[in-house]
Amino acid sequence: MSSSLKLLAEIRQSSERRPFEVLKLSEPLLNKGSISQAGDDVWLVYEQVFIAAIDEGEIDVAKAVLEILHKRFGGSQRVKRLYGMINEAVGYPDEAKKLYDEMLEKDATNVLASKRLIALLKSQGQYSIAIQELVSYLDTHGNDFEAWLELAHLYLANHLYAQAAFCLEEVILQQPANHYFHLCYAEVNYTMGCLDIALKEYLRVVELSTDNVRGFYGIKLAADRILDITSHGAGKSRDSSHFKVENAPQKATLERLSQLATERLVAIYSGTNDATKKTVEAWLKL
Amino acid sequence: MVLVGVFRHQLTILMTGQPPKPDVKDIRQGKALLRGQTLAQNNSYIPTAAFIERKKYLCQAYEDGTYLKDKASKDKSPTDLMADPKNMEVMMDGMKKQMMGIVPQTLIMGWIQFFFSGFILIKLPFPLGLRFKQMLQSGIMTPNMDVKWVSSLSWYFINLFGLRGVFALILGGENSADGTRDMTAMSTMGAMGQQPGQPQDFNKQFLSMKDNLSIIYHEWDLENVEQRVLVKYGKQQRIFKSTRK
Repeated sequence: MSSSLKLLAEIRQSSERRPFEVLKLSEPLLNKGSISQAGDDVWLVYEQVFIAAIDEGEIDVAKAVLEILHKRFGGSQRVKRLYGMINEAVGYPDEAKKLYDEMLEKDATNVLASKRLIALLKSQGQYSIAIQELVSYLDTHGNDFEAWLELAHLYLANHLYAQAAFCLEEVILQQPANHYFHLCYAEVNYTMGCLDIALKEYLRVVELSTDNVRGFYGIKLAADRILDITSHGAGKSRDSSHFKVENAPQKATLERLSQLATERLVAIYSGTNDATKKTVEAWLKL
Repeated sequence: MVLVGVFRHQLTILMTGQPPKPDVKDIRQGKALLRGQTLAQNNSYIPTAAFIERKKYLCQAYEDGTYLKDKASKDKSPTDLMADPKNMEVMMDGMKKQMMGIVPQTLIMGWIQFFFSGFILIKLPFPLGLRFKQMLQSGIMTPNMDVKWVSSLSWYFINLFGLRGVFALILGGENSADGTRDMTAMSTMGAMGQQPGQPQDFNKQFLSMKDNLSIIYHEWDLENVEQRVLVKYGKQQRIFKSTRK
């Protein structure tokens, strides 16, 4: 019994969202009443089960758990947030919004409430308001890199690439060793036409994460594109003025990089079936 | 004695109360400083243009006091900062806690002095040297008495230090029942020049952070990443000279 509690605690601590497993693990605990073995953590387990139940659409379970939590912590802000979430889940976003607004009015520093509010706005498709809220949230909590990442995604959804790039720079400043953030940044730069920065960031990705497929595809694309543009001359090709390639490496290096990317991609895909291999080789023009 | 200790512990809990909650502007102020620190620390991970943009913005913001909680207080001296009610609260809290330690201690000591002084409580079953006289026979002015006899006042002190383990057992590790900490606190109080509740002068910190930022020489970490990647995947011998143009 305690092993499932331990597993739940692990999931909770790594803040993974695995609602199915959580519900499966907690079901016998809830039914047999042995959940009290968790000691002081029992309330955390209830909260975890509640969120998992909402994710899985098990509204009845969520309601039962919320009842228990409400009995224990009547007017708690944290429980209020759960009420807001269940309102969102059953399709009353306006009610939920009202609850969150009340919470924020009472305590403007309530991070969880402001995040829920932004998530709610996002789920309703009100991107511009969500962006506004998130920007004002970040003005206060400037070191919350996950919020910066979220803002970048919101900007990307609205095709505001320069703004998204700024947010991703902020994320990289705070988490420089995570290759995924470099990858996002590279892709945004590639989209904007900053090929020199994109290439370097793609290189950073494969430096941090060996044989990163997405990284090598990026290198191949960026290096070939730069080669194409520089060899045709800046003025000739019609749309080359959109691209920034000033700080790109020399031609020889670019060729070697492109070659390296091809080699690695072929090596990575060598273990797969023939159809995949053929597709890759066709793309690489081998 | 144990009961006195428990009583002290409960009283301290009662008096301490909740720490004051910071409001949005406090957080904003602190986080702004943190942002400057992160930028100074990890500046090499973003392109030069991005760094310069941020540096300019933050330096300007620090100088103008954009992030200061109370923009009007920018030019005030630190003593004026104490007028902030929140800081007052913090300081009062510290005072209260210290008083909490001192008042019962004084009361109990007076009580002990009154009741326990002047008589012998126990006799040790083993002889001891003269050196222990001070320790075991405080409160009794009899120079010729054997050291085996322990005066009541001394016995109190021995218990006071000995009970720490018991308190830890019944009240949990971080309790405020035993008086030994207060004693050390009392003796060090004179040495403490700055109270812990001293308000931080954010304006000064912002300005020094601005100086820190403005002297950073920026070099992008990816300046020669091509070479590093080529070396990593075995396409090139390691070269040591910088490849910057």
